[in-house]
Amino acid sequence: MERKQPDLVLIVARSFATKLATPTLIIDARGDLVYFNDAAGEVLGRSYVDIGALQASHWQALFQPRTLAEEPLTAEQTPGGVALLERRPVRDSFVMRGLDGREREITVTAFPLFSRPDEVVGVMSIFWELPPAP
Amino acid sequence: MIARIWGARGSLSAPGPETVSYGGNTSCVELELADGTTLILDAGSGIRELGQKLAERDPGTAYICLTHLHLDHVEGLGFFAPLWRAGWKLQFWGPPSTTATLRERISRYLSPPLFPIGLSEATAEAVLDDVPREPWRVGSAVVEAQTVEHRGPTLGYRIEEDGRVLAYLPDHEPYLTSALDDPREWISGWALAAGADLLLHDSQYTDDEYVGRLGWGHSSGAHAAAFARAAGVRRLALFHHDPMRSDRALEELYDQVAELVQEDQEQPLIAREGLQIDFGSIA
Repeated sequence: MERKQPDLVLIVARSFATKLATPTLIIDARGDLVYFNDAAGEVLGRSYVDIGALQASHWQALFQPRTLAEEPLTAEQTPGGVALLERRPVRDSFVMRGLDGREREITVTAFPLFSRPDEVVGVMSIFWELPPAP
Repeated sequence: MIARIWGARGSLSAPGPETVSYGGNTSCVELELADGTTLILDAGSGIRELGQKLAERDPGTAYICLTHLHLDHVEGLGFFAPLWRAGWKLQFWGPPSTTATLRERISRYLSPPLFPIGLSEATAEAVLDDVPREPWRVGSAVVEAQTVEHRGPTLGYRIEEDGRVLAYLPDHEPYLTSALDDPREWISGWALAAGADLLLHDSQYTDDEYVGRLGWGHSSGAHAAAFARAAGVRRLALFHHDPMRSDRALEELYDQVAELVQEDQEQPLIAREGLQIDFGSIA
């Protein structure tokens, strides 16, 4: 029997996200998307139940993140990717395409989840959709 | 591997005529491994009597795995005879901390004014370390520790020897952070208990009590049964009995849990002082 499971910090973060009304997304230490809550589903255009967990390359391709100047962002350049690789909190805005086909500008605050002082087990990203420019 | 229960009570020692059948001592389980190694799980008040037994033999080495440092899991240390006998080597493991070593944290209890004698005065060689991150060998067994859902840094343990597995999660509230129908890998402690022959698990509350104590870090008997089922455990032993639970009330709780056990599981049991389980005799 395969006995691998996420670290407790990731389990608790996921539990926290399920209870938040703020859009929240969680990636693991490999950068794979392991959970987003219902509020995030509204912004991303589909629910987590519909999509499930996604590898880093896959979710980057799905959501096509771009700078506000329309320059493509790799998964590593998104706030979640920077928080994971550089082990620091990040706040940034970018453009993405929801799975409903609608373009959105969002502002993200991402922070690494440390289970020990030297061990990051994932990143929690909380985000807001910016209102359309007048 | 032989497991002996020296204490199965939770939160506070509860001696008296109402608890004489299952015992009033707090958490302590002795594992006698196939190669003779002594591995001890937790140092609640039950470790006092275990220490008396160990002190009858020549000094040697004993290994003590602490799940966490709440008093009911360390309160017996000051009365653990080998700690005060020269020649003994005692290797402790406990949950990691970002602020203090395990020795510093235990010394908060084993020092005045909470205790008259300091840990530094122990005559045994006491080595205190944070648990290893990966499974490690102790005598003829392999031990694995992971943090689990409880108040404060808390570990659960999995001990495997000759293909037999004991899982020990005495203080655990997995359904605070998971739903009953969540994928099993998202349930705290699942990997430790998966496929275990015996699971000693927190079952402190009745369903009614749990409603008023949500988030206190403990499980109801029903939650313990659900967790055992999710992990494919062969046999569940109710552990960490509420100090207010009389023997009769504990048996009533047991009856409720026994009804929840599925056909592919053995009937649960109530952990009681003096209970001995020989894993070598499990078919």
